[in-house]
Amino acid sequence: MNDLLNEVVSPEDLQKFENIYHQQLYKNDVTPKAQFEYAWCLVRSKYPVDIKKGLVLLQELFTTHEEGKRDYLFYLALGNARLKQYRQALNFLNAFLNIEPNNSQVIGLKNVIEKKMTQEGLKGIAITGGAIVALGAVVSLGISLLGAAKK
Amino acid sequence: MDSDILTTLKILIIGESGVGKSSLLLRFTEDNFDPEQTLTIGVDFKTKRLNINGDTVKLAIWDTAGQERFRTLTPSYYRDAQGAILVYDVCNRMTFVKLENWLSELEMYSTKSNIIKMIIGNKIDREEREVSRDEGVIFARKHQTLFVETSAKTKDGVQCAFEELVEKIIQTPDLWDSYSPQNNVHVGLKDHPEDSSCSGYCDLL
Ligand SMILES: Nc1nc2c(ncn2[C@@H]2O[C@H](COP(=O)(O)OP(=O)(O)OP(=O)(O)O)[C@@H](O)[C@H]2O)c(=O)[nH]1
Ligand SMILES: [Mg+2]
Repeated sequence: MNDLLNEVVSPEDLQKFENIYHQQLYKNDVTPKAQFEYAWCLVRSKYPVDIKKGLVLLQELFTTHEEGKRDYLFYLALGNARLKQYRQALNFLNAFLNIEPNNSQVIGLKNVIEKKMTQEGLKGIAITGGAIVALGAVVSLGISLLGAAKK
Repeated sequence: MDSDILTTLKILIIGESGVGKSSLLLRFTEDNFDPEQTLTIGVDFKTKRLNINGDTVKLAIWDTAGQERFRTLTPSYYRDAQGAILVYDVCNRMTFVKLENWLSELEMYSTKSNIIKMIIGNKIDREEREVSRDEGVIFARKHQTLFVETSAKTKDGVQCAFEELVEKIIQTPDLWDSYSPQNNVHVGLKDHPEDSSCSGYCDLL
């Protein structure tokens, strides 16, 4: 079953958006658009190293590019979920829901993740990792920034 | 697991931002409506089982974001879709005019040449209509697609639209029998689904 957590980017797409990103990187002029599109492909890769790279790009965007905050937060959650880092994923989604409590897309992803956690027997098990502190900081930043962006 | 399911179909929903794609999906899958439905980020996904003439079909529905900034990547979700729903807002002519672009994008990126297309004119509950039903029908006929008018808010036509689309896909075994070859003996095809409660709404063109 192809769902949000296991559908996979096509190699051609990944290649294409990687090229665009690298060309811009080479000229030292990376647009948020190119970085986001490349990151969106990376977090949908079947290789964890790609997903991790995508998360780094998304975190950078999150802290530097106002406009796309919602999008970056959502894909940070998705990437973490695909790495089975469910708790971090839920942190991001909960931060999102603090601002938009009825967002059905976010609630949907949260349900999928919670179902996976139950299936994989992960409920209550703390997943530890060096990234947690940094991610926590991003989340609280996310809350304030999303709050500020709200009309 | 899932042995009672005839097949799984991939359905795509596309169209301009704000026309009500996600609202239609929410109405169909959860019988719910959110007047403050927020714009989709990238692409959303939901599943739903549907009973068509005695067969259970599982739908995997991809709801794409209409906002410009997601447009570069959403076409990559078109591949292998057996059905596509193109939505416009009957109170916003621009979204109707843009259907031409969505059709050609679909033409360009969908991998199944006989993909079943349905055009939906949504938000018929609102009073400030800018596109008449006749215009919609004529456009759909010209492009050989199914056509339904709906309101995600009042439920009008929503269930019927999905049923009509799925029925048409099931009637086109080429589209799906390779998906689950063990099942193609028993298709449950009916030429005239006269018991369909939808026939008053949907035009099979
Ligand atoms: N009155 C009325 N409002 C509707 C209807 N369908 C959707 N809306 C409203 O229209 C707005 C946009 O709906 P969405 O479902 O988010 O639109 P969308 O096509 O998914 O937009 P994108 O995700 O950006 O592509 C929301 O405020 C909905 O509540 C309808 O049938 N009638
Ligand atoms: Mg939407």
